[in-house]
Amino acid sequence: MMNRLLIATVFLAWTTFAQAEPLRVASLSTVMADLARDIGAERVEVTEIVKPGVDPHIYEPTPGDRKTMAKSQILLASGLGFEGYLDKIRPGLEKSGVRLLVGGDVVKPIEGSCDEHEGHDHSHGHSHGTTDPHWWHSISNVQAVATQICNAFVAADPEGKATYETNAKNLQTRLAALSKWVRLQLAALPKANRVLVTSHDALGYFAKDNGFEIFAVQGISTSDQPSSQKVKRLIEEIKARKVKAIFAENIENPKVLEQITNETGAKPGGVLYADGLGSGPAGTYEGMMKSNVATIVEALK
Amino acid sequence: MRGFPLLRLFLVVAGLALLGVPVWLLTRPVPSAPPPASAPIEPEKIAVYDVLLTSSAPARLAVRVANQPSVESDGSASSLSASFTMNADEPEDLAVFGNFDPAAGNCALRVEVRIAGKTLADSTFWGIGLVEDVVTIPKP
Repeated sequence: MMNRLLIATVFLAWTTFAQAEPLRVASLSTVMADLARDIGAERVEVTEIVKPGVDPHIYEPTPGDRKTMAKSQILLASGLGFEGYLDKIRPGLEKSGVRLLVGGDVVKPIEGSCDEHEGHDHSHGHSHGTTDPHWWHSISNVQAVATQICNAFVAADPEGKATYETNAKNLQTRLAALSKWVRLQLAALPKANRVLVTSHDALGYFAKDNGFEIFAVQGISTSDQPSSQKVKRLIEEIKARKVKAIFAENIENPKVLEQITNETGAKPGGVLYADGLGSGPAGTYEGMMKSNVATIVEALK
Repeated sequence: MRGFPLLRLFLVVAGLALLGVPVWLLTRPVPSAPPPASAPIEPEKIAVYDVLLTSSAPARLAVRVANQPSVESDGSASSLSASFTMNADEPEDLAVFGNFDPAAGNCALRVEVRIAGKTLADSTFWGIGLVEDVVTIPKP
């Protein structure tokens, strides 16, 4: 009798411990980390390797970061070339049995804008093979990635299926509400004013969804440096289009933007979160989108 | 050479002149390119858009268009008409609102947009309490 009681107690303790062990998730994307926390809740432990405020375009994983990645069960990455080091670390991850989940695999990619031509024409139809990796600025892409994360969690931890699916459904409802909120806010902005001048070309998906035209000082990456010719062309374009405001980004040196602002008379429109989440209210995906939209509408209306 | 100072002067001047040519070519002010000829400005095509909001139950109705005063019903109403003059090449989006009594349950807000009697958009939105959405008007 005592033996049976002891076995039952040990079994109960073991199952309790097994349930308490969370799914280990590491993330190279602040946006995907936020989605993972929403969907996984207490069943996952999310470690952000790239943290808000870090420029992901120039980030390189440290040996410590590589250890954290190797210890995780699932590693989240944006993909589409956003993490230039991903192909280098992929074999090591496979060896460690880490599942790499790339958000870019389930979104509809768009091309980055072209800045190679004199007097460039935004309507030209040829491809330069530069995919814009900033897919999270389209809410429909985020909805697709939320489903991808939910499926990966269910595959790795089938016991948590009900929790993951319920949380993912709630998240999808909130994302649909966010999409409507964005459209309602932007309805106050005349279509002729929908021109975004930003430091680097990160808001292409937002522009495509909401009928904006983008003029970026740098290219797709923050490490792309603008030529003086390009800056000159941009200044002429801003003057000709009577652009009201120019936007800086949370993780960049706004020096060139300041020069353009001074020369064109356009006012500084505020700070946009382009490469991921920020801090405070912009520390969640919904908060980041609301902050960006409110900043844009306030500056351009 | 030593006995011909004039020749020496001539050679120095000629040498300086020869050196000066590439310097001048490199430093001369380049006439700035003429400004790009601006595209001919086409006059805006203006059109009057008639908007009709119809609700399944009495509600406070409103319709808003960027840069124009919003039109709202006086208290609860079952319909609201408004007209907006806009650029026909790029009409603005309409933000529509129907504030229903939540006790009325699921309610519908229908939005019709017409131009000279021709229907351009016809959408119905459902919800409980505040029903709000955006109608994008297609180009005629």
